[in-house]
Amino acid sequence: MTRYAMVMDQRRCIGCQSCTVACRTWNDLPDDIIFNPVVTEGVLGIFPNVHQTFTPLICMHCDNPPCTICCPCVASQQDDDGIVWVDDTKCMACKVCVNSCPYGARDVSSLDPPLHSFVRKCNFCKDRVREGEQPYCVATCHQKARIFGDLDDPESEVSKLVNSLEVRTIFPELNTKPHVFYIPDLGGNK
Amino acid sequence: MTDTVDIHAEGVVVKKSCCYFCHQNCGVLAYVQDGKVIKIEGDPTHPTNQGGLCCRGNIALKHLDHPDRVNYPLKRVGEKGENKWEQIAWDQAIAEIAEKLNQIKAESGAEAVATAGGTLRTDDWSRRRFMNMFGSPNGFHNALLCWIPTFMMETAISGWSPFETDLSTSRCVILWGFNPGAAAMPGMRGYSDLKKAGLKIVVVDPRYSETAAHADLWLPLRPGSDTALALAMIQVILYEGLANYEFINNWCIGYDELLEHIGQYTPEWAAEKTWLTPQQIREAAYMYARNTPSNIQWGCTADQLGKTSGAGMHARIILRAITGNLDCPGGDLMPGPSKAYVTDEELEANDWLPEEQKAKQIGSDKFKMTSWPGYQKIADTARATWGKAPTAEWMCEAHGPSVFKAILTSDPYPVRALIVSASNPVNSYGDAKMTLEALKQVEFLVTCEYWMTPAALYSDYVMPIAGALERPIIHNNYGVTDSLIASQRAIQPLYDRHTDYIFWHDLALATGQDAGQWPWDNEEEAFYYVIYPLGLPVASYDEFVEKVRFYYPPLEYYKYGEGGFCTPSRRVELKSSILEELGYPSMPTWIGAAENEEDDPEVAAEYPLVLTTGGGFMPYHHSEQFNITSVRFLRHEPYFTINPVKAKELGIKEGDWCWIETRRGRIKQRANVEPSVDPRVIYAQRGWWYPEREATAEEPFGCLESNVNVLSSVDDEHCDPIGGSWANRGLLCKVYKVRYGDAKVDTQFSIPGSSSEPGVTVPPSQQKLAYEPIPYDPSAPFEVPEGLTWDPGTKIAWDLELGLAYDPDSGWLYHPETNVFYDVYSKYAYDPETETLIDEATGIRYNMETREPIPAEGGE
Repeated sequence: MTRYAMVMDQRRCIGCQSCTVACRTWNDLPDDIIFNPVVTEGVLGIFPNVHQTFTPLICMHCDNPPCTICCPCVASQQDDDGIVWVDDTKCMACKVCVNSCPYGARDVSSLDPPLHSFVRKCNFCKDRVREGEQPYCVATCHQKARIFGDLDDPESEVSKLVNSLEVRTIFPELNTKPHVFYIPDLGGNK
Repeated sequence: MTDTVDIHAEGVVVKKSCCYFCHQNCGVLAYVQDGKVIKIEGDPTHPTNQGGLCCRGNIALKHLDHPDRVNYPLKRVGEKGENKWEQIAWDQAIAEIAEKLNQIKAESGAEAVATAGGTLRTDDWSRRRFMNMFGSPNGFHNALLCWIPTFMMETAISGWSPFETDLSTSRCVILWGFNPGAAAMPGMRGYSDLKKAGLKIVVVDPRYSETAAHADLWLPLRPGSDTALALAMIQVILYEGLANYEFINNWCIGYDELLEHIGQYTPEWAAEKTWLTPQQIREAAYMYARNTPSNIQWGCTADQLGKTSGAGMHARIILRAITGNLDCPGGDLMPGPSKAYVTDEELEANDWLPEEQKAKQIGSDKFKMTSWPGYQKIADTARATWGKAPTAEWMCEAHGPSVFKAILTSDPYPVRALIVSASNPVNSYGDAKMTLEALKQVEFLVTCEYWMTPAALYSDYVMPIAGALERPIIHNNYGVTDSLIASQRAIQPLYDRHTDYIFWHDLALATGQDAGQWPWDNEEEAFYYVIYPLGLPVASYDEFVEKVRFYYPPLEYYKYGEGGFCTPSRRVELKSSILEELGYPSMPTWIGAAENEEDDPEVAAEYPLVLTTGGGFMPYHHSEQFNITSVRFLRHEPYFTINPVKAKELGIKEGDWCWIETRRGRIKQRANVEPSVDPRVIYAQRGWWYPEREATAEEPFGCLESNVNVLSSVDDEHCDPIGGSWANRGLLCKVYKVRYGDAKVDTQFSIPGSSSEPGVTVPPSQQKLAYEPIPYDPSAPFEVPEGLTWDPGTKIAWDLELGLAYDPDSGWLYHPETNVFYDVYSKYAYDPETETLIDEATGIRYNMETREPIPAEGGE
């Protein structure tokens, strides 16, 4: 089995937001949709003992996604390899899934024509991934702060990182089982 | 969602293009179908970026066909700055420009024509070639702020700039005022990897930058005091026995003099200047000198310190030499010019420029290292060593700000024509108000541009230029190293756009230059000529790009072992003979930071904060990309950084619009309150203009409103006497909130001194005497009503008793916080709902016209 997952190495992220822009241009997204925001926390502390953390956000492609079971049109769905996506031919933009996602990872663009609007979300660039390439945000990251791969393959870098380092997920208490993992930057200059 | 575009469809060709939005020139794969680029992505096989692309790289397609692009040659039909244009044919524009240039040359000499260039998005050897054959020495770039003085100083002292850092086996690197985390993304990845492998990273930066966050030792020094730090580090290394004495004895001259001279610059002395502790300075010196081989990475801070720039560059090359880090494995390598391919210098035709024209180069009498006097000495030594010289373009140019001054003052002679190529001088050169006025006043202005910039607005002709995907590119680091990366054209230029090479080529022929000297009809032909000596089995430039693309000769170590270093004495000249011959101190000497508390106490009393600016920040490069929504949404307004402690003291909250003011003027930016800088430091973003605003003739596109260059000075006595660079780091400033009714930005400027007076003939101790302060008028520009007090600081007339400000346009008083208006005589508040006046103390309403009390309505 294949289970796609992503690791965000916060030790390497420098908050340049290249992924934010790259994703929008590669996927031709309207101006009010962002799949890949980067959240900056800080600078915190008292000068010169300060610290700053960057957290790139994206759809978590959960193992227990609340956004698929709630969809009345079976448009929001999950494939066997873990990729959660929306079939825009079936979606009627009712936004139930938008409200159900605790990560704010999906939305409807107000710039689409009213009868042709649909929920947009990150689909791990499944067209690229299934041809053996990396999602575009991973390919475009200069810092190699994003690592993508098959979690079920013990040889993949994703699997090695998740199983060897202390990784975190966002809102683990919601039991959504996110498959985007964060290697935290524990701070300090050392 | 890529359903509309299929990059795997039949007929789609992949072109190996590259990004052109900063110096990295990351590889880009362009998918071309029917002559149209349908998609781009980072090239995974390119050694620089390995598939990565930043915000700017990713928006190449938005840049390519942006609705605001200039697509056809424009000829001015209205007044200058009126924004009225006639679209004309390329050839007609070239012919008319050539005629005017020839007329000016006949009337005032070729030197009355100057050209300004931009940052590496042009083939500027062709501009130089045009200028040399035309006979004018007055080409320039913003090179003086961008590492070129460093290159010249390092080359003068050690024979070539140690540009190639051999980091793979290095143990320690100093990133000195260099923030690859925002300015060199692919480089930052390398530092992260190397740090994991054990490399020690020292970061010198007053701000907690993206790079400082990854440092082993971060030195948050006072902006502009870098030279003092470097001098003290030399002192520690020499006086505490950390130097590599074998290298010094064998390969350096002037050691004894240096030892005596440097004794005064102790860490305790530097601590006052740099705000660092002596322990921090010693720690840095020990870390650098004990962990050899070690590197000092190049960066542009040393070029933006103003007066002390030259001494700082000199000190850093001494640091490398006395620790034995020059040209050794893991150290700073000095590659020299390429012997394998044709360098830019060989394309520039510098022999064509007559000696008497070289002598007329503006600024060469003042700032000799980066103009013909210094360049000639360095080039002669280099030719004797390698048979080739450093590129004259960038390294040997007129002093840009002095050319702008010459336009305004005709000193030393009138400059009547200016051709601006790929540059927006108002936002990139110091003293923006003066620069803007020069662009307004120059008799004949031509701009080669992508966009309608402030410079383009005042032009007589605007020429549409082809961008990154529309032209081939050879990236050879200005000829300072011997490698080369080549990229090809994805598509032919759209509309009536042409590349800058074609502009200079056509202009050369139209002004009557010999067609035999311009044998290449396009870049591909010229670039094939460049790579031909490599002897590769390729029949065209495109074939070279597709099959080979790179030329990286193997790293060579200890090249000096054969014939010594490329200096007059064949040794590293700690005591520099070239500097001495040019009339400068032969040892690095501290002459005080640009503006500082010690030398200018009266200025510091008025302007107590220290400004640092000029550093790059994502997603912009210099003054570019402000008109592209896809990146502008990330930073849509200018922000300056202030420490929370200082912000609280000044009553400034996050997001407040504030004035940042120096002696030269003031600008508006919003407050980013965070502890990434010292409470005494302000960090302001560079490059800001507002392309979305109106092209008003007075201050087009808001180009002065938030532009940090309004704050900087290019007066001769504030420039580095050696290289001519001016200060962006360490300017004294003050910050206060913008209030409703504050005066708009002003355009007043002054040009003190003359080309012959101050300059290097003024000793540092007397330099301040040459400065005439900007005329200061404390009186109000309007009649202040009786009872109000005019405050020249805030430029507002105040009613001190009630804390109300006076609005001279309406004649009413207003409350700065609530914006409620008050009558200037009775001090009653205006109620817009009932259109009556109300006395806030008693609640009684008054008639607007008669100011008679209105009786309260019955029963209420």
